[in-house]
Amino acid sequence: MAILSEFYLLLSAAVFSIGLYGILTRSNALVFLMSVELMLNAANINLVAFSFHYGNVTGQVFSLFTMALAAAEVAIGIGIVLVLYRNFEDIDVTKAATMRW
Amino acid sequence: MVVEIGGFAVADWVTLAPTLVLVAASLLVFLIDTVEPRPGSSSNAVLAAVTTVGSLLAFLVAGYLLVVGVGQERVTGPVSMFNGQLVVDGMSLFFVVIVGSVTALVALASYDYLAGEAYQAEYYALVLLAATGMSLMASANSLATAFVCLELSSLPSYALVAFYKDNRGSVEASLKYFLVGALSSSVLVYGISLVYAASGRLQFGAVAEQLGARPEFAGVLGVGVVMVLLGFAFKTASVPFHFWAPEAYEGAPAPVSAFLSSASKAAGFVLAFRLFLTAFPEVGGLAGGDPAVDWVVAVQVLAVVTMFVGNFAAATQEKVKRMLAYSSVGHAGYVLIGLAAISAPDSGFVLGASMMHLLVYGFMNTGAFLFVALAEQWGIGRTFQDFNGLSTQAPLACAAMTVFLFSLAGLPIGGGFISKLYLLAATAKAGTWLLGAALIVNSALSLYYYSRVVKAMWFEEPDGTVEIESYPTSLYAAVVIAAVATVVLLPAFGLLSPSAFNAASGLF
Repeated sequence: MAILSEFYLLLSAAVFSIGLYGILTRSNALVFLMSVELMLNAANINLVAFSFHYGNVTGQVFSLFTMALAAAEVAIGIGIVLVLYRNFEDIDVTKAATMRW
Repeated sequence: MVVEIGGFAVADWVTLAPTLVLVAASLLVFLIDTVEPRPGSSSNAVLAAVTTVGSLLAFLVAGYLLVVGVGQERVTGPVSMFNGQLVVDGMSLFFVVIVGSVTALVALASYDYLAGEAYQAEYYALVLLAATGMSLMASANSLATAFVCLELSSLPSYALVAFYKDNRGSVEASLKYFLVGALSSSVLVYGISLVYAASGRLQFGAVAEQLGARPEFAGVLGVGVVMVLLGFAFKTASVPFHFWAPEAYEGAPAPVSAFLSSASKAAGFVLAFRLFLTAFPEVGGLAGGDPAVDWVVAVQVLAVVTMFVGNFAAATQEKVKRMLAYSSVGHAGYVLIGLAAISAPDSGFVLGASMMHLLVYGFMNTGAFLFVALAEQWGIGRTFQDFNGLSTQAPLACAAMTVFLFSLAGLPIGGGFISKLYLLAATAKAGTWLLGAALIVNSALSLYYYSRVVKAMWFEEPDGTVEIESYPTSLYAAVVIAAVATVVLLPAFGLLSPSAFNAASGLF
């Protein structure tokens, strides 16, 4: 028996919320990147589950695109974290606050 | 498929020529860098020239295709490619014109601005790749291509902001830009997944067809639409994802700030226009009847809040670049009127007014940021006081800056006057008086903070410590060209606006 699609929505919403919570509470830049990954993968859960629900592969193919782009985004992100460490001797995102908000 | 351009039958992908030119130019830049990896001053000139000529060519080709009517009703109708994933129509060509012109100005100015810096080939290649992403965003016709193009323009931008990697301001700006960008792109892609959950389609037209006026999963769709809207708020620097803008624009090299605040914003808007008008027209109640997901009201709220936040924050700034950054947020609010007042009977006029504002804004805002680049080059400091009496030493550049600022404020010295007038007329046509009132109040307020710069440049006494030694030619040329374009757009506005209105009407 197939699992109802609604449950996948609940699961992805939970994963998305965990990622959002991580972004809002943590100040470590690497944990921030991991949290963003969680949020992107929450979207992938939806895409794959509803691809099955509707019987087309559009969503599954798009989830592959999302994964590739997430990897590219992390590559840029790690680079920025690296120069952050070189300039501020820390990867705490709250330390880099020389400009006034 | 075959389309006809100016009497010749060619393959449909030829209509993507402006984008292909940008790709070719970026690859050429990489090639030059491979041949001469440690560039002397001569190859820097070649790199800047390739970038400028490439983007100028993209601008001219897109302009030519627009003039001969490719993708528009009177000749071929929208040219759809790759199973409807990309579409070339009047609107996409119009925005490629904007992106191409801004990129050309930025590349021209960068030659002097980057003099003596390392890694110039990477800089120009990233600018061209980001411009490619932006021009593709204008053509994206499916949620999948939309997301890919958006990332193609975002990822090089993060790296460009961090170009001065030993400068704490540049790195901090890039970090904040990246953090907000990563967050908003995951919000966007989650929104896309919810829209897919409600419709089972990703192509814009198919989404609209599948949803109809009464979608089955209206709740899921509603959350999805709002999240997609938030994702675009980041790209266009609108509330609530606007707070990266002042940081990123202040810390980034000034030509990059000009590029991001003009071209990137325009690209975000064209994608938002196309997405909301071709994928969600019926659920938004544009076809009549009660809206299932009332995104028009959401956009109206965002437009008003964005205008007020941007302009009030700009009025309290002490640094010129930061003031321009917040004014750029305020202008995003003005352009949002195009979507917010879309329920007007003449929606082509409303959207066309927004497009024209983005075209004029592309020149005047780029010019203003390039003037700041000039000031940074002279090393005269960043606050309003530092600009005191600058006109005694650089009258030409100060005159150009005055044109930009008054045109941004909406005085009849540049095209910004008429485009704001059209936006006001659009709010009147839609009967959204609150939007019109917000536009007037904020324009009046913006005149205050723009005049502060003008007053400092022309009326204050110079404190005598700053001596301008050099007058960088290419930066000067870019500023003057932008100023001439801004002024010429005042009388020439009537020539260009019909093509904007036609292009906008093509979406309905």
